[in-house]
Amino acid sequence: MRQIYIIALNTFREGVRNRVFASLIAFAVCLLFLTLAVSQASLHEEVRLVKDMGLFLCSTFSSLICIFIGVNLVYKEVERKTIYTILPKPIYRWQFLLGKYFGIGVTMAVQVAIMGLVLFGQFLALDAEFGLLMVKAIWLIYVEVMVVGAVALFFSSFSTPFLSGLLTLGVFVVGRFGDRIATMRLSEDTNAATQADPFVAFLKAAAAAAPDLSQFNVTAYVVYESSLPFSYVYHATAAGFAYAGVVLVLASMAFARRDFT
Amino acid sequence: MHTGPVLTLDDLHKSFDLGFLGSMPFIGSAFGGLGIKGIGHRVDALRGLSLAVEPGEIFGFLGPNGAGKTTAIKMLMGLIRPTRGSGTLLGRPLGDRDARNRLGYLPEQPYFYEHLAPLEFLDFYGGLFPMTAGERRKRALALIDRVGLTHAINRPIRKFSKGMVQRIGIAQALINDPELVVLDEPMSGLDPLGRKEVRDLIYELRTKGKTVFFSSHILQDVEQISDRVAIIVKGKLHRIGPVAELLESPTAGVEVVLRAVSEAALPSLSGLATAAVSLQGEWRYHLTATDSVDGFIRCALELGASVVSVIPHRRSLEEIFVEEASRA
Repeated sequence: MRQIYIIALNTFREGVRNRVFASLIAFAVCLLFLTLAVSQASLHEEVRLVKDMGLFLCSTFSSLICIFIGVNLVYKEVERKTIYTILPKPIYRWQFLLGKYFGIGVTMAVQVAIMGLVLFGQFLALDAEFGLLMVKAIWLIYVEVMVVGAVALFFSSFSTPFLSGLLTLGVFVVGRFGDRIATMRLSEDTNAATQADPFVAFLKAAAAAAPDLSQFNVTAYVVYESSLPFSYVYHATAAGFAYAGVVLVLASMAFARRDFT
Repeated sequence: MHTGPVLTLDDLHKSFDLGFLGSMPFIGSAFGGLGIKGIGHRVDALRGLSLAVEPGEIFGFLGPNGAGKTTAIKMLMGLIRPTRGSGTLLGRPLGDRDARNRLGYLPEQPYFYEHLAPLEFLDFYGGLFPMTAGERRKRALALIDRVGLTHAINRPIRKFSKGMVQRIGIAQALINDPELVVLDEPMSGLDPLGRKEVRDLIYELRTKGKTVFFSSHILQDVEQISDRVAIIVKGKLHRIGPVAELLESPTAGVEVVLRAVSEAALPSLSGLATAAVSLQGEWRYHLTATDSVDGFIRCALELGASVVSVIPHRRSLEEIFVEEASRA
């Protein structure tokens, strides 16, 4: 456990000192402030707009930032050869990967927290109640980010950043729209032959394998102030981390077989 | 502490599958055997390497570029898996975690986390071992002092010179007070003073009972400090043994330097030696093993010359190295 902690701490320190990471957060925060400005153009729907756009930006940017960090994590260690002095130490390869994952976890927790604080500030400015519903929504954004991070780390364990980024982005998009892909039809034609289109079949297979990221999107509940029970949050959290766990096991298996020449 | 050889390699083989298809993850090995360069072909980096390193010795591991030295060392470190064969480190199989607790390693041209300063850096590596925070700090400060980096203790590594990076790299290899220290090209990029410091450090490790296994291209350094050396060429072991034995040559001969050699003495002395050359008032005579050194010196003294030096001519490690590399 000590080794995992050491790697995680170093990953976090490296992450927060990364200028690109800081720039991306700053950019996302600026966009959040923009929502406040845009909301002024709405007809007394400022709070609703801030909730909707704010959560969308928080979720999307957090996931994209996590993909950016995640796909570079292992690749950079191998490219810069810093891994050559770590793996010969008494640390299992899976401990190294898990440490990297927890390192992203802490880094992204800081990032999501910053965006959450900005949103909180916007609510204060609008004299609106932040509420428990927003906290649940932000927590689920964080869980979504951790699922995406696990996928990015998986691809990063054996592929280049560009390919890893493409594949993770693909999984992210399919995961976000998985519920719609599952019921997708190319046309209204009910002919079985048309329904057996290979492209649709591929998308449905991809959607089945990809994580269901739509379950972490509770913006509708927040915007319309519907009840979101804790049981939903628990189940979504458990499902998210269970998926991440499976992906991390696969990543460890791929990483364990790798030669570092 | 482990008894018996600290390091053994037993018929180690390593093949790399290269080319566009050959280098693909998971499926590359299926295409490596195609033998089509660029698409899928196989390169044998190690072809049955076997050797053993005894406790407490300084072992030099030599070979030309591409011989397989770094591949072999990386296999010892668990960075690369052997295709075939086995090995042990401190009595444990390769890759064993217990063995890695007692091992120190410095890779070739090391790279480290540049945002860390020496103390944080050594604390990071020390944290991977079962050491308390207090032990880590104490050990880190002692090592920073030992490698001469106290003046840069708070400087991030990205501001270090190459020599300083090498020194902090050696420090991280020693953070756990290892029994076996493996150094891949530890003198690479260092100036003569830096190389001397590394040599002194290696000697010091031996006096403390540690075993040092290192590879280097700087043959004078290897010859100077190694107890035994192994020469590997194209993935195969060519020579192994104590340095003194490898350098011994029955036909090497002796060089005798004389001063105050009179004109009259020259013919007699030249007759007793195989070759002679005059340099700045001194005469250098080369005597082969068949010539009588005692007889030559006695004659020189009788003829009024004075003996400046008598130096046995040995083969150099470089000569042996070039010979083995050419033979392969």
